[in-house]
Amino acid sequence: MLTLVTFFPVLGAVIILLLKLFKKESDLLVKQLAVGTAIVTFGLSIALLTQFNPALGGLQLENKADWIPSWGISYYLGIDGLSILMVLLTTFISMLAIASSWTAIKEQVMQYYIFMLLLEAGMLGVFLAQDLFLFYIFWEFTLIPMYFLIGIWGGKNRIYASIKFFLYTMAGSLLMLLAILYMGITNETFSLPELIAGRSAFAAVAVQNTLFLGFAIAFAIKVPVFPFHSWLPDAHTEAPTAGSIILAGVLLKMGTYGFIRFNLPLFPEAAYHYAPMIAVLAIIGIIYGAIVSFPQKDVKKLVAYSSISHLGFVMLGIFSLNEAGLQGAILQGVNHGLSTGALFFLVGIIYEQRHTRMMSDFGGLWKAMPVFAVLSLIVTLSSMGLPGLNGFVGEFTILLGSMGASSLGSHSWIYTAFATTGVILAAVYLLWMFQNVFMGPLDKEENKKLRDINGGELAIMLSFLLFIFWIGIAPAAYFGLMDSTVAKLVADLLSAAPLVLH
Amino acid sequence: MEGAFGFAPLLLVFPAVGVLFNTFAGRRLVQADRKTGEMYSGWFASLMAFSAFLVAVVLLFSLRGHDFHAEVVTLFDWFNVPSANFHIPWAIQVDTLSVTMMLVVTGVGTLIHIYAIGYMHGDPGFHRFFAYLNLFLFFMLILVSGSTYLMLFVGWEGVGLCSYLLIGFWFDRQNEEGKAMNADAGRKAFVVNRVGDFAMVLAMILLFWTFKSLDFGTIFSGAVELFEAGHGVELFGMEMSVGAVLTAVTFLFLLGAAGKSAQIPFYVWLPDAMAGPTPVSALIHAATMVTAGVYLMVRSNVLLEIARESTRLGVEGANVLGLASPDWIALTGAATAVLAGLIAFTQFDIKKVLAYSTVSQLGFMVAAAGMGAYVAAMFHLITHAFFKALLFLSSGSVIHGMEHGHHHLHEHSHGHDAHHEEEKFDPQDMRTMGGLRSKMPTTFAVYMVGSLALAGIFPLAGFWSKDEILAHASANHGTVFTVVYWMLTIAAFCTAFYMGRQIKMVFFGAPRHEAAKHASESPPLMTTPLIVLAALAVLGGLLNFPFFGESAFETAEETHNFGIFLGLEHWLEHSIPTFELTTEGIVQMPHTPTWLQLSVAGISTVLALAALGASIFVVYRNRPQTADERDPLQSTPIWWFAILPFEWFYMHTVVPAFKGSARWLAEVLDGAFWHDFVHNNVVRDLFVGFAKFSATVLDANGVDGLVNGSGRFVRYVGSVVRKTQTGYARNYALGVFLGTVLLLAYFIFAN
Repeated sequence: MLTLVTFFPVLGAVIILLLKLFKKESDLLVKQLAVGTAIVTFGLSIALLTQFNPALGGLQLENKADWIPSWGISYYLGIDGLSILMVLLTTFISMLAIASSWTAIKEQVMQYYIFMLLLEAGMLGVFLAQDLFLFYIFWEFTLIPMYFLIGIWGGKNRIYASIKFFLYTMAGSLLMLLAILYMGITNETFSLPELIAGRSAFAAVAVQNTLFLGFAIAFAIKVPVFPFHSWLPDAHTEAPTAGSIILAGVLLKMGTYGFIRFNLPLFPEAAYHYAPMIAVLAIIGIIYGAIVSFPQKDVKKLVAYSSISHLGFVMLGIFSLNEAGLQGAILQGVNHGLSTGALFFLVGIIYEQRHTRMMSDFGGLWKAMPVFAVLSLIVTLSSMGLPGLNGFVGEFTILLGSMGASSLGSHSWIYTAFATTGVILAAVYLLWMFQNVFMGPLDKEENKKLRDINGGELAIMLSFLLFIFWIGIAPAAYFGLMDSTVAKLVADLLSAAPLVLH
Repeated sequence: MEGAFGFAPLLLVFPAVGVLFNTFAGRRLVQADRKTGEMYSGWFASLMAFSAFLVAVVLLFSLRGHDFHAEVVTLFDWFNVPSANFHIPWAIQVDTLSVTMMLVVTGVGTLIHIYAIGYMHGDPGFHRFFAYLNLFLFFMLILVSGSTYLMLFVGWEGVGLCSYLLIGFWFDRQNEEGKAMNADAGRKAFVVNRVGDFAMVLAMILLFWTFKSLDFGTIFSGAVELFEAGHGVELFGMEMSVGAVLTAVTFLFLLGAAGKSAQIPFYVWLPDAMAGPTPVSALIHAATMVTAGVYLMVRSNVLLEIARESTRLGVEGANVLGLASPDWIALTGAATAVLAGLIAFTQFDIKKVLAYSTVSQLGFMVAAAGMGAYVAAMFHLITHAFFKALLFLSSGSVIHGMEHGHHHLHEHSHGHDAHHEEEKFDPQDMRTMGGLRSKMPTTFAVYMVGSLALAGIFPLAGFWSKDEILAHASANHGTVFTVVYWMLTIAAFCTAFYMGRQIKMVFFGAPRHEAAKHASESPPLMTTPLIVLAALAVLGGLLNFPFFGESAFETAEETHNFGIFLGLEHWLEHSIPTFELTTEGIVQMPHTPTWLQLSVAGISTVLALAALGASIFVVYRNRPQTADERDPLQSTPIWWFAILPFEWFYMHTVVPAFKGSARWLAEVLDGAFWHDFVHNNVVRDLFVGFAKFSATVLDANGVDGLVNGSGRFVRYVGSVVRKTQTGYARNYALGVFLGTVLLLAYFIFAN
C-alpha cells in the first residue's frame, strides 16, 4: 500500500513519457493525466488513512525488502502518527499545486508535469522511508525536480535562485550523509527502528552530539531555521506559483519532520542538550522573520519571510519535547502548508494577470475583485492565527507546550513570552500587506480591469478553506491521528534522558 | 422551562445565518433592486439580531426556573490532545452574568441594526455592512457565552476582527494627504489589540499549567480550593503559591483589557476608530465590544479576589511593585477616566468627544472591577450601553442632518450639477454646528437625555450607576480606594463639563455654517430607536435601584420573584459569589453599600451641576460665535492634553523605531550580509573547495575513466568560475551534486 502511494505519481510520469514515445502527446492530455494522477494519489492516501490505526503507537502497514544486505540497507517503508498527516498534506498540496498550474505553465508542459509528479513521489518517500539510506536517496532526489522547476519555469533570477537553493540544501545533506554512514556502518544496519534499538553504539556524549548536529544542520537548512534561511526568499520569489506552494507546503516540512523522526529518537540526550539553543534560534526566527517581512515590497517575498516566522513556531514546539509541543508542531506544519500554500496561490492569481507582485502596483483591489479579496482575507487571518481558524490551533498548542517544557528549564515562560510576541508582529506585517493590496482607492487603470477569481481557482481555494476551517473549529480528529505515536515518542525521550533532566 | 437551555446554541446560529444571508444573497438583492434589496438585507439582519435577543430572554426565564444555577451546554470537542491532557470543548455557559451580557448585546444591537438601515441607506456596501454587523454579534455572543477562557478568547479576537473590518468599512477613503485613513485606523485598532491579546495568550497558558484546564468552573473552584488549603502549585519545576500565579494572571488580564477596553496605555486606537460608520461606533466602540475587558474582570472575580487577598496576607510573589494586581486595575481605570476626560475637553469632532468620553467611562468600569465592585461595574456597563449608544446614534443623526444641510446647500447654489469644486466641509466638526436645537428637535431632546444621563444627573440612569461606583470607593478603607475615589470624582466633574460644552456648541447659539442652517431632522427609522434608547437611559437606574437592595424584600421568596427584574445585585450574585475563604479568616471582599450614600451622591450631583453650569453658562456662554473662533480654553493648561500624550509617544518612538529597525534588518542585515556576503564568501567558496576536493580525491584514487572525467569537469568548472568571479553558474551545483553521488558510489561499491 505504501509503495503504491509513493510510486503512483511515478507511474503517471512514465505514462506521460510514453505518450511522447508514441507521439501522442498534447498539452491538454498531459495536463489531464497529471491532474488525474495527483487526484488518484490523493485518493490512495485517503484509502491509506482508512487502513491506518491511530491507536497504535508504532509503525504500521510496513513494506520491507532487502536491498543491499551486505550493508544492512533495505527498502523499508512504514507509517505512523508522525508521518500520516505529512503524507496527506503532500498528496493534498501536490494535487492542488498541479491543478493550479493549468493555465500558468505554457512552455515545456510535459517536462513540467513530469517533474511535479516525480517531486511528489520523492516527498512521499521522504515521509515514509524507515531506512536511513533509503530516506537519504529520497531526500536528495526531491532536490532535482525542484531545482529544475525553479531553474526552468521560474522568474527573472531563476538561475541564481535555483543554484542557491541547491547549494544550501546540498551543504547540509552532506553532513547528514556522513552521520548516516557512520551509524549504518557501526551498527551494520540502516533500518531506523533497529538503529534506535541499538543506539547505545553511538550514545557516547561526544559522538551523539556530533551526529545530532550532522542531522540537525541538514534539517535546519531545509526548515529553514535562522540563520540558515537566506536561500528561502530567493527560491520562493523566483519559483513558479506551484513550486512555491509545494516548497512552502511540503518541502520545508521535510526539515521539521526530520527533526522529529530522526533527531529525537536517535539522540534523545543530545536533543535535551540542544533544546534550549534550538529554541532560542526558533524564537529569533519567529521574531526576525516577522520583522523582516514588514518592509518587503514584493508580496511573494513578504509571504516567504513569514514562513521563517511560522516555521520558528514549529521548531519551538518540537524542542519543547512534550506532548503538546510536538503535536502542535506537527499540526502547525500542516497549517502552514495550507495557509501559506493558499497565500502563494492567491499571489499567483494576480501575478498571472498583472505580471507584477509589487505592493505599490496594487491598492483597492477589493473593489475590483471582491470574492478574491474575501478569500484572501480569510487566508491572511488564518496565517495571523485568528482563533477559529487553523493557525491558532497550532500556535496555541505549541505555546502551551513550550511553557510546560521541561527541556527549556525553569525559565520556559521567558521563551514562551518572546515567542508570543509573534502574534503581534504577524498582525503588523499581514495587515500591512492586506491593506496595501486590497484597501485604499482603486486608482490604477490596469487594476480596474482585473477579473475576479474564476471557477477553477475558486474550487482550489475552497479546498484550502475547507481544511482551514475544519482544523480551526474541530481539530480533535487531527490530534487523534498522532496522539499515541507522540505519547510514545515522548515517553521514550523521557526514559532515555532522565540523567539530563536532573 | 428546564429544557429551554437547549435553545442556547440558537443564540449563535441566528447571527451566523444572518452573515451567510448577506454574504451570499445580499449583493444580488441590493444590486437587483436598491430599495427592496436594502429592505431585505437590513431587516433580515435586524431580525436575526432580534431573534438572538429572544433566545436570551428565553434563557433568562430558564435560569429563573432553574434556581439561577449556571448551566453549561456543550456543543462539540474543540481541542483534544489526550496525552497532554488538553481538552477544550465548545460550550456555552448560561448563567446570570452571561445572560446579562447577552441581553445587552442583542438588545442594544437590535436597535442599532434598525437604526443602521436608515443610516446606511444608499451606501454601495450596504449588504456588506450588515454581514459585518451580524458577524460582530456572532463573535460577541461567543465572547460572553463561552464557558472557557479559550472560547472567550475566540470571541475576543473575533470582535477585534469585526472592529477592524467595520472601522475600515470605507476602505477606499483617503484624507487630504492621500492616506487611507479608515484602513489605517482599522489596522491600528487590530495591532494595538493584538498587544493586549499577547498578554491574554500568556495568561491562559499560565492558567492551564496551574489548573490543567481553561474551564471557568474548574479554574474558579480549583483556585478557591488551593487557596483555602494553602497549597502551592508545581510550575516551571518549582513550587509557587496560587496567589502569586493569580497575581501574574490578573495583571496580564489587565493588559488584555487595556487593549480591548481602551485603557492606559493602549487607548489610542479608540478615537481613531471613529472613522468607521456611526452605528459601528455606537454598537462596537461604545456599548458592547469595548466592555469586553470589563466583562473579563467581572467574570474572573474569584481570581481577582484571591490575588487581592494574597497580597493582603503578604504571600511571596503576590504583588506587583507592592500593590495587589486588582489595585493596579483600579488605578489604571481611574487614571484613564481622568486622562480621557481631560482630553475630551480639547476635541472639536463631535464623535471624538464621545470617543474620549467612552474611554473615560470604561475607566470607571475597570476601576470598579478592580475595587471589587463587580455589580457596580456591570451596572455601569449596562446603563452606559444605553446612554452612550444613544449619544453616538444621536450624533450620527446630527452628522446626517449636517450632511443633508450641506447637500441641500450645494443643490441650491449650484443647481443639480454634480461636479463642482469640492469645498472642504467636515460634517463632524462641532465648530460648524450651532443652533441645531430647532432644526432637529427630536435629536436634540434625546441628546439632552443622553448627556444628562452621562453627566450623572438625578434621576437618570448614569446617576445611579456612577454613584454606586463612587459609593463603593468611598465606603472602603485603604489608600488605593481613597485615591481612586478622588480621581473618579474629578473624572465625573470632567464628564459633565465636556458634555455641557458639546451640547452648547452643537445645539445652542446661532448656526455657524450654512450647512447647519439647512440641517434637517433624520427619518423616523433612525429616530425611533433613539427614543427607545432614551427611555432606557431614563429608566436604566431601576435595574439596580438602591432602595430595592437587600432589605427591600421581606422574604427570600420575594427576592427570588422580583429580584430578577429589579435587583442586579441579587441577580448577579449567582455568578459573582460573595464568597468567604479562610486561611486566617475571611477574604475581605470589598463591600458595596446597598443604600444610597447621601454624602457621595450629594458631592457628585453638586459637582456635575457645577460643571454643566460652568461650561454652558460661564466658559462657553457667548461662544463660539464663528466657526473659526478659538476655544476659550485653548490658552489654558487644559489644552496641553490636546497633544494626546500617548499617541504622540507612540508615533515618535515605537512606530519609527520599529519601521527603522525593520528596514535595517531587511536591507542591511538580511539582504547585504546574510544573502550576499555570507552566501558568496562562505557557502559558495566552501562548495567550490569541496568540489575541487572531491575531484582531487577521486583523481588520486584513480577510479575509472568516467569518474575521472567527471572529476576533471568539476574541477574545470570550479576554476573557471573562480577566475571570472561572476558569482554563480549552475555547474557549481552540478559539480557538488556529482561529487556527492560519487562519494556515495565510492562508499557503497568500493569494497
